[in-house]
Order: sequence, then C-alpha cells, then structure tokens
Amino acid sequence: MQSKSVYKIPNGKLIKIFLDYDSKNKLINNICITGDFFAYPEESIDLMEKKLKNTLLTKKDLLEKINSVIKKYKIEFIGLNAEGLVEGILRCIK
Amino acid sequence: MKEQWRLLKTEDNSAFTNMAIDKAVMVSCSRGKVPPTVRFYTWKPPAISIGYFQSLNEEVNLDACKSLGVEFVRRITGGGAVFHDKELTYSIIIPESNLKVPKNILESYRRICGAVIKGLKYLWIESKYAPINDIIVNNKKISGSAQTRKSKTVLQHGTVLLDVDVDKMFKLLKVPNEKIKDKLIADVKQRVTSIKHISDNNVTFNETSDAMKIGFEEEFDIELVNGILTKEEISLTNKFERECFSTTEWNYKK
Repeated sequence: MQSKSVYKIPNGKLIKIFLDYDSKNKLINNICITGDFFAYPEESIDLMEKKLKNTLLTKKDLLEKINSVIKKYKIEFIGLNAEGLVEGILRCIK
Repeated sequence: MKEQWRLLKTEDNSAFTNMAIDKAVMVSCSRGKVPPTVRFYTWKPPAISIGYFQSLNEEVNLDACKSLGVEFVRRITGGGAVFHDKELTYSIIIPESNLKVPKNILESYRRICGAVIKGLKYLWIESKYAPINDIIVNNKKISGSAQTRKSKTVLQHGTVLLDVDVDKMFKLLKVPNEKIKDKLIADVKQRVTSIKHISDNNVTFNETSDAMKIGFEEEFDIELVNGILTKEEISLTNKFERECFSTTEWNYKK
C-alpha cells in the first residue's frame, strides 16, 4: 500500500514522507524522506531509507532503527529529529 | 598582513552552471588548489533551486517554469526551494580547518550570515540573524542560506534579495494546499522583503556586491582579492554540469 504524509516538525522544518508498506504485517517496503531540512552528511538520508526497509511500523521499532543509524553514521540533523521522523512515518498509516 | 581570500564575480550563468561552479570550487579548495573563496553571482535565465532532500515534482510547477522560461536545479545543500530572480547570490567555500569558520554548523551559519549582515549595513540596512538560516529586516526575510560540508570543506550559499515578485514565485512553486493559496501568498508578502522595498530605490548587483565584499572582509578580518576560476575549476564545472546538474537522474532524484 502506498501513502504520503506532510508533517511540520515542531520548531523545525517540513517533511514529506512517501511510504510503500505491507498493510498486513505492517512492514516498510520502501520509503522516501523529503523536505527542507538539513542532514550532515546529506547521503545519510539515502542510507536511512535503505535501513528502514522491512522495519515494523511501530513507534518503538522505528525510533530504535532511526536512532541506531544516527549513532552509527554520526548523522547531524538541523530542523529534523528522530521523533519527528517517526511521527511523519506513522502519519502515513493513520 | 591579513589573510587573503579569492573573490569571484560570475554574473548571468544558467542554473546548472551556477551549481556546478560552487561544487567545482569546493572540490578544488578541498584539494588545496585554491584559497578560501567568496563568490557573488546571478542567474540567467531566472531559476528555481530545490534543496537536496526535496522532491522536484512535489515542490515545483514544471509547466509554469517552462511557460515562464524559468530553469530548475537540485542543489547539493539541504533547505527549501528558492526562486532566484532579482538577487545577489553568494557562496563561501573554505576548509573546515580554517579557524575563521566555527566547527559547529549552527555557529558557522551565524558567523557567515554575520558577513551578509555587515554588508547590508553598508547599504544602510539594519538586519539580524534569524536561526537557522535566515536574515531578517523588521521581522521580514531578506536572505536565506544553506550549507554543506564535504571532504573537510565548508560550502555555504545564500541569497540577498534585491527585489521580489511573490506572485510570480507562487506561480512557480507548488503549495501544500491550493485552497488556501491566496492566504499563503498574502502571508509570504508580509514575511518577505528586499533591498528595493526597504531602501525605496533600485540598488544594483554591483553596488550590493561591493557592500557584501566589505561585509565579508570585516566579518572574517581578511582581504578579498579579485580572481578567476582556474583551468581545473573550469574543467570540473563542465564535468559536474554535464554529469550531474543537467541530468534527469540528479534533478528528479526524489
């Protein structure tokens, strides 16, 4: 199933998430994270999209996965944060 | 003796060329081939640049671009979509190891925007930094910037609005909700300004770049020396324009 969300991060930037997911088992097939935020290094968002594949669409699983990628690859966000990204993703399935 | 940086003035380039030059200078600087560089430039024809993470189809009305003769390009920096028309665009490229620019990204935004603020003072305009990446005059935005860091080199580019046509801008950019488009346009007109609106006369690109030159020199306590692109930078510009910025793969990446 395909879905899209638009979410303004509190005190941050606007993100638009395009999500392709399995509605039965709630797993991410594909995700595209777009918006006017900043991320350093920029390529980390491509990496984040790849790592989020097959992640269960729950707050806990998403936050764990996103935080582990941020830590592993030393990603610095401006106008975006892990919680905001999770909220944007979960709004795709509401 | 003050540290000498290079000043480039490259007016009237296409969107693809402008973004390719910034990247070429960044690569050349990261290889230690050129000194820290400040560039002032314009766009001909006018163009939309979108942030690295934005979706072209989502942000830009491509039919309107075609009919109004406006180009479009994806930047290597994050941030939002910008309509480049009557403005001075600046870029600053400097090694991360140079102590003039803070290691911390947010602090470095403030410092570089400080140069633009000092430049605006020489046009009799009092402005201030509005985090993360804006400069405002009487609470209205006059300048926006975006920064990236690659190969231990900082690139920040940004706009200084000489004039602004919000109605045209909204023909070119898509809005999240068409139903409230008129309200959004009215809001943006209240929140954006330009040198022309403030000083009530036409300040030219050259007058603005002269003021900005002094602004950068004072902020960083350096001397800007007029220069040109090196042969290597011209060659890299052609390569990046051909292999990246002009390609469908790059511009429609998201």
